[in-house]
Amino acid sequence: MTATAPKRESFDVRILRQSGPGEESRWETFRIPYEPNLNVISVLQKIAATARTAEGTATTPVAWDCNCLEEVCGACTMVINGRVRQSCSALVDKLLAESPGEIELQPMSKFPVVRDLVVDRSRMFRALERVQAWVPVDDYYDRGGGPNVPQELQEQRYPLSECMTCGCCVEACPQYGKVEVHRRPNESQESYEQRQAEAEEGQFLGAAAISQTMLFNDHATGGMIAAERLDALTASGGIQECGNAQNCVAVCPKEIPLTTSIARAGRKTTWHMIKKWFDR
Amino acid sequence: MAEQRVLVVGGGLAGLAAAMKLAELDVAVDLMSLVPVKRSHSACAQGGINSVNDTTRQQGDSEYHHFDDTVYGGDFLQHQPPVKEMTDWAPRIIDLMDRLGVPFNRTKEGFRDQRRFGGTLYKRTAFAGATTGQQLLYALDEQVRRCHANGKVNTFEGWDFLGPIIDDDGRCRGATAQNLVTMEIRAFPADAVVLATGGCGLIFGRSTMSMACTGSAASRSVQYGAHYANGEFIQVHPTAIPGADKLRLMSESARGEGGRVWVPRRPQDSRAPRDIPEEERYYFLEERYPKYGNLVPRDIATREIFNVCVNEGLSVEADKQCVYLDLTHISREELDRKLGGILHIYEKFQGVDPRIEPMKIFPAVHYSMGGMWADYERTAEGGLAPDAPRNHQTNIPGLYAIGECDYQYHGANRLGANSLLSCIFTGLFVGPCIQSSIESLGESASDAKFDLLLRAERSRKEMEHKQLLERPAGGENPYLIHQELGQEMTKAATVVRRNDQLTAALDKVSELHERARNCSLSDTGMWTNQNVMFTKNLLDMFPLAKALLKGALARDECRGAHYKPDFDMPGVESQDPGERRRQAEMWCDKFEEKNRKWLKTTVASFDAHGEPTLSYEDVDTSLIPPRPRLYGIVGGDIIEQVWKERSISQSDPTKPAEQSGNGAAETSRSPVPATS
Amino acid sequence: MAATEPSFFVRHEFLIRRLHSLTGIVFGAYVCVHLLTNASILAGSEAFQNNVYRIHGIGAILPVIEWVFIFLPILFHAFVGIAITAGMIPNNQNYPYGANWRYTVQRITGLYLFFFVFYHVFHMHGWFHFDWWLKIAEPWGGAQFKPYNAASTAGLALQNTLVAFLYALGVLAAAFHFFNGIWTAGITWGIWTRPLAQSRALNVCLAGSVVLGCIGLSAIWGARQVGRGEALEAARATEDRMYDFRVEAGLVQADSHKRSEDEESGSGEIAATPVVETRRSSDSGE
Repeated sequence: MTATAPKRESFDVRILRQSGPGEESRWETFRIPYEPNLNVISVLQKIAATARTAEGTATTPVAWDCNCLEEVCGACTMVINGRVRQSCSALVDKLLAESPGEIELQPMSKFPVVRDLVVDRSRMFRALERVQAWVPVDDYYDRGGGPNVPQELQEQRYPLSECMTCGCCVEACPQYGKVEVHRRPNESQESYEQRQAEAEEGQFLGAAAISQTMLFNDHATGGMIAAERLDALTASGGIQECGNAQNCVAVCPKEIPLTTSIARAGRKTTWHMIKKWFDR
Repeated sequence: MAEQRVLVVGGGLAGLAAAMKLAELDVAVDLMSLVPVKRSHSACAQGGINSVNDTTRQQGDSEYHHFDDTVYGGDFLQHQPPVKEMTDWAPRIIDLMDRLGVPFNRTKEGFRDQRRFGGTLYKRTAFAGATTGQQLLYALDEQVRRCHANGKVNTFEGWDFLGPIIDDDGRCRGATAQNLVTMEIRAFPADAVVLATGGCGLIFGRSTMSMACTGSAASRSVQYGAHYANGEFIQVHPTAIPGADKLRLMSESARGEGGRVWVPRRPQDSRAPRDIPEEERYYFLEERYPKYGNLVPRDIATREIFNVCVNEGLSVEADKQCVYLDLTHISREELDRKLGGILHIYEKFQGVDPRIEPMKIFPAVHYSMGGMWADYERTAEGGLAPDAPRNHQTNIPGLYAIGECDYQYHGANRLGANSLLSCIFTGLFVGPCIQSSIESLGESASDAKFDLLLRAERSRKEMEHKQLLERPAGGENPYLIHQELGQEMTKAATVVRRNDQLTAALDKVSELHERARNCSLSDTGMWTNQNVMFTKNLLDMFPLAKALLKGALARDECRGAHYKPDFDMPGVESQDPGERRRQAEMWCDKFEEKNRKWLKTTVASFDAHGEPTLSYEDVDTSLIPPRPRLYGIVGGDIIEQVWKERSISQSDPTKPAEQSGNGAAETSRSPVPATS
Repeated sequence: MAATEPSFFVRHEFLIRRLHSLTGIVFGAYVCVHLLTNASILAGSEAFQNNVYRIHGIGAILPVIEWVFIFLPILFHAFVGIAITAGMIPNNQNYPYGANWRYTVQRITGLYLFFFVFYHVFHMHGWFHFDWWLKIAEPWGGAQFKPYNAASTAGLALQNTLVAFLYALGVLAAAFHFFNGIWTAGITWGIWTRPLAQSRALNVCLAGSVVLGCIGLSAIWGARQVGRGEALEAARATEDRMYDFRVEAGLVQADSHKRSEDEESGSGEIAATPVVETRRSSDSGE
């Protein structure tokens, strides 16, 4: 259907490039021969293969992250035509219909740029550690199955468990700010990660991590440390930072009910706070 | 002695399971992965995970039946003890994953729900929506994150494995790896290195596999002397959505719900599909297989679709191979109710509504049954000896292989929903084996005596890296060579294999290998240089590609996913009872002859230039004697009858049916003597 | 303020944000009462004046009520709100969704209300009732509202079109800010959690803000009508009559601060003056 639209020979892709952390960013435009059914990944693959700008000058291939290309791994998030999304499911025909002139690619703005479209999202994984997003089992020996689970609870947990930590929710969140720690020359990975974690203390957890607390608090075994997770949610940078702009749920590629998780976390933390005041 | 460590390479299901089990055993673990582990390819598995369960058990199912289905599905090419061990473990593995919080679908009463999958009669497959792999992966990712928080596992995400470090005694003492961001090359001392690096789909250019599935870790290990087994066995899924960047899976359920496969009778008919009248449509599966129609077994569907496009030139599009998978005759409501999820995927990636326009699909490379050769230690009962250091160890002591990157579990063809099981099983099972292995060493790779070895290996890798960056400009383009390699491999070594094509492909791939050595880089920087990393991966695709082609060329038979029409065994056509009997006897003779010759593992070893040499070893079929796969074959009933009579007369009633203990197969199967 | 003792605010961030939500609701409830009272001006200056007398009839406890339920909550709400707003990274252009616009408008209205409420309290109330201060404030346009000449002084104070416009904006901002705040509070406290419940609550809240906005606007319109021409004269006469009656009946203490300046020479002066002299020292700190 889209292929029968007015024939175009080629189209332009404008990419915000940056050669490394702390470097100046610059725009580069690439001209891509048009084919039907392209997605942004295949455009970037073509750019990597030719490594020439629209003006014909040689340049380095654009760096970007991807893996599964079917929207389950969460790697290829970037800002496309101003809106954050997965580049594997961003179809060129649709993007050109949206803004006919050209396609614009930028790295996510809430994470430190590593290079070009590659950003460092390790903060999101550290946030999962902050809220203890796991089921605290005793061991991995055979102890029979888990508890019986009502269908309704499974249907509530399953969508939350589809979160691939892609970062769309926090990129679109007007309350989530960027935390950038520059690596020192010859600094070890361990010490760099340590300093990153320190800088992130008290900074907003973001929708993804809040939703994960609900996922695990809803599990019979996971709920055994529910209070510890709620403590993490009510610590500095916790759920109170949420401003209810609800962009998270609007941009989530997996359509996870993030705002429901946030509201439920709000309810749980309210009771948790009251309990802590009166139950001691 | 310094603290002993284990390096796990790969953060998919197998690697994570191994890391968490080792951490539980109080072994210090370094977990290395190309991508943040949560983004591993295991997330792509959709269907489910197999095990015997309480319900099927009461319907007559048992671990043995699961074992039998797996071996039969794999056309008996697997050594049976590891498979038996895996199917024995399966119920416990599902229980564990359930305890870890995987949101398995539930019955009304709250039990885990199961569905039926291909290759079995029982509802054995537990599933979590259409993203079982993702859910299992996340459960293990969470446990490893917990281990990391407790300081038991160090994670190194964004590191590419460059090769094992092997000392003068031939033992693996660690690995070199390169950081994808800083380009730093480091030597990781390790008393055992576990490769859990998945399949090698990228050798075929585009496949259903993720971009990390280059097979480079396996290739880099075989170039250090490790062996690669059964490389020619590659599973091709019949229905995938062709894309410029990737071939995305379209579930079999689309055909299960009434989807019809067809092409226009006139080649590359330019009319819109709905304008092509019924009589000008070629429903080739329905016409050729009136009984099964569109639901013929996967391998047959794959071959027919491939054949109609490639050999008959009836592809829907001129420049792209594809056929129609048509659901438009089914009401929108019914489609949304039954297939909503998968139709949404098609719509999302193709921008076309499959409820209005037929889907365009084509078979795609999906899974590598073959992989790193790995050892095992058999018990008298026919299972694996727990804690035995030999289990899953490659022919290099201290180097282990688990998950899709080992070859042990799926033989010539993998059953649906067995891959997740084999990954988690091998990860968990290998933990104690490695522990006992390193405990027996009495020294640590972190000891000062290995410093020189580690440093030398790191310098060597740094040198290689530098040389690659300093290539003169104007050479070959690695991306274009990769495209050519993919086209060549897809043409010659996927669905239908012919010796002339394989020979030609082998020449062409060797030529590409030479050209790839002259690649020049468009990026020579020292920061997040994806260009140089891609080129390294490309270079390492060739040894495996050659092993795959050579293996396929040599194996003159049909077995599982390996199909050579020139060596096919047609069924019994005759109607005359006497003649039928005679033909069936002949068929069975041929089958026995074929097994004598080819029921063997292909083992490839490589020279310093990555050139493979093949050898063969016997398969341990001591638990279930091989029998013909007769699904859908003409005259299958009479062949089965003859085969049964033979097997009864062959088995001596004074001896047990099973071959005794560690039989001849056991001693002859190892291409190198086990040294540990 | 956070700079003096950062650890306290960091440690109690959650509690502070919850109190911010609570104080918003408390102050918002007051604003509703306030605007409803104002709107009674539509029923005539007498009705309005009666309501004002009722409030002022609370007597000595009124300042306590004012501080606990109005001044402290709004001060807390305002300063925490400013701190919250300082951290926002608006992105409405790229994410032009309804909730995102409400998020941004909530903060813009909050900022406007911060300045408007300061201005409004100065304009009508004068902030403080020290004599020396009133002498400064009144020429600058402060302390225009005299409770015992409620309708007429309010009406006069709103005659300037710009002032009336600022008030109209303020009323609309308050109406939106309060009801949208109730909606977000419902999520914050976990009252409505699922999308359908949230969208229903949103409809109710938006309707509430429209109603409150209309009430507020009509009060401004009503006051402006009272504040000019014959209506003003009539209102003055009514207010004076009511004042005289109440003072004579001993229902109110005569208080020049609560009356129009130019009325000092009028009919209320004779009875009122001595009392004013004796009370001034204790009353002036209000």
